[in-house]
Amino acid sequence: MKIRLLSYTNSKDIISKLPQLEISEAEFLSHCSFTFSIEGISRACSHQLVRHRIASFSQQSQRYIQVKKLDQNVVIPPKITEKAEREFRSSIEDTRNAYDKLITAGVEREDARFILPNATETSLLMTMDGKSLEHFFGLRLCSRAQWEIRSMAEEMLTQVKAVEPELYKGVGPYCIQLGRCPEGRFSCGKIVEMRKRYQ
Amino acid sequence: MKIQLLATTSNIEPLVATAVLTTTSGAQPSILYERMIDRKDKVAEIIERIEVQHGSILEHNRFVWGIIAEEHEVLDVLLKTKFLTFTRIGSKDWLLSGNLRAVIEFWSQQKNENSEALLNSIKHIVPNIFSNITREKNEN
Repeated sequence: MKIRLLSYTNSKDIISKLPQLEISEAEFLSHCSFTFSIEGISRACSHQLVRHRIASFSQQSQRYIQVKKLDQNVVIPPKITEKAEREFRSSIEDTRNAYDKLITAGVEREDARFILPNATETSLLMTMDGKSLEHFFGLRLCSRAQWEIRSMAEEMLTQVKAVEPELYKGVGPYCIQLGRCPEGRFSCGKIVEMRKRYQ
Repeated sequence: MKIQLLATTSNIEPLVATAVLTTTSGAQPSILYERMIDRKDKVAEIIERIEVQHGSILEHNRFVWGIIAEEHEVLDVLLKTKFLTFTRIGSKDWLLSGNLRAVIEFWSQQKNENSEALLNSIKHIVPNIFSNITREKNEN
């Protein structure tokens, strides 16, 4: 996985032209924007990502791009590497062969892709306004979030804080943003640990 | 309504070209972006081919304006477009922001003084796209 912040609204550009500006942080964030290149994540992860609807996505299309060497372009969850890597690789190898056979038989890429697994790597551009990004961090940095999207969110937060440290000071999972865990009975109970990590 | 462009995201046209290529080529977006930044000719060539109906590639950017306007003028814009964001910052002062797609759709669907002013305020930042859409409009 590779994440790179490509472009963003510099808050100083806005504030310098409106020195008397009085606006809540939440309202100001809604006028900010961040564009990331997100590369080498699984299709399982991108499915979760696009559920954040107040955002824009331009994703590699499997209608136009043929998946070559599937076995070298999959994301393998660490738990699978630990417990059942051979079974996983064997299944991917079978799928690669079947996909290649479909393409060779003249099946169009848009149909052959129906056989591809959630593990298939994908890359995309994503743009979010600052407020939606804060919400994304609140949900996806939570210890209950799935490992791949959480790892992606961690890297995004690091890069956003590097360019806009004031705007994203104190931003982390919702337990940090709200001062309490909103997960109810599913709470991980590690709020003290999370505070140390994000504050 | 008086409009002043305050800020934009950087490298907007190279990012539009990057978005186009990301969906159809196997190359990684960050590599495409690096290639596009220094290739103004290539960016112009890709933008020339854009069909504005496929608008999502125009969404990886943002423009922020300071506006002086009466409430009814702001309400008029808000009723006509869902994708521009307004915040009141004074009795007649507003912060307005949106992406290129929102500006172009507002302009193409509501040809009036305000939509013209918004588009004109950004034409120097996206000259190839401006030329593309105004040509299309004239042809139609």
